[in-house]
Amino acid sequence: MAAVSEQSAPALRGKIAIWWLIASEVMVFGGAVGSYIMARAASPGWSAEAAHLSTSMATINTFVLLTSSMTMAMAFAAYQKDDQRGVQKFLLCTILLGLAFLGIKAYEYISHITENAAPWSGSFWSFYYLLTGLHALHVIAGVVVNVILLLAAGRGLRTGYRIEIAGLYWHFVDIVWIFLFPLLYLSY
Amino acid sequence: MTTERVHPNYVAIWVWLVVLMVAGLLATHLPLGKPAINNLIFAIATVKAVLVALNYMHLKSENWLIYALAIVPVLLVVAMTLVLFPDIVFHH
Repeated sequence: MAAVSEQSAPALRGKIAIWWLIASEVMVFGGAVGSYIMARAASPGWSAEAAHLSTSMATINTFVLLTSSMTMAMAFAAYQKDDQRGVQKFLLCTILLGLAFLGIKAYEYISHITENAAPWSGSFWSFYYLLTGLHALHVIAGVVVNVILLLAAGRGLRTGYRIEIAGLYWHFVDIVWIFLFPLLYLSY
Repeated sequence: MTTERVHPNYVAIWVWLVVLMVAGLLATHLPLGKPAINNLIFAIATVKAVLVALNYMHLKSENWLIYALAIVPVLLVVAMTLVLFPDIVFHH
């Protein structure tokens, strides 16, 4: 069983703040996902449109994001061991995996748009671009935060508990994708 | 000052997540009805999300305040969807 010692006041305040942000994000994504579920349940024809999505691309992206969550957790573990090189190494891995995710997503978008499946091509596509686009914006935000932490660590500045705060956000973005993957690509 | 924690094995958790991802993919090929397959893949997704939350987000070792911040919005979203479901799905 894990044992938790006293945390510093800024660390605890930061953690409560990020969980508060995550709580509000749950409501944002929850509203969008709930609307999609209800609209799709009321419109059986959407399965044919969903079949145009590339399950293999999405599977690779799921693998990439799950791996990035592990490297982010390892960056935090390295921070706790006071291993600054480890922090930098795992942060860099997380950033590269985040960029790989965005690159694959961009390729998917371009493929769909060239096949005339734009956001205005129908209700399914509107929801697809809304949900994945909103998620991609969060991935971009997570990458930016991680780049800032990596640059700070590279200059010898202490990233401190911010690694854990950034990690919580990154893992939340991973959880959102864990549900978007079956919702958009696997369900009938 | 850092938090002293006994870390979960992050690599082992990642292996489980990948195994569950593959299980989700294979589930779509099972000779079952659509509702059963959908229930199965979302159950697998929920297990994956719980694994990430408990181990990577360290909810396993957090206090009640963090738990409340994490769980209350999820319950609200589920309740909101369930309450609206009969009207939007079955009446329109």
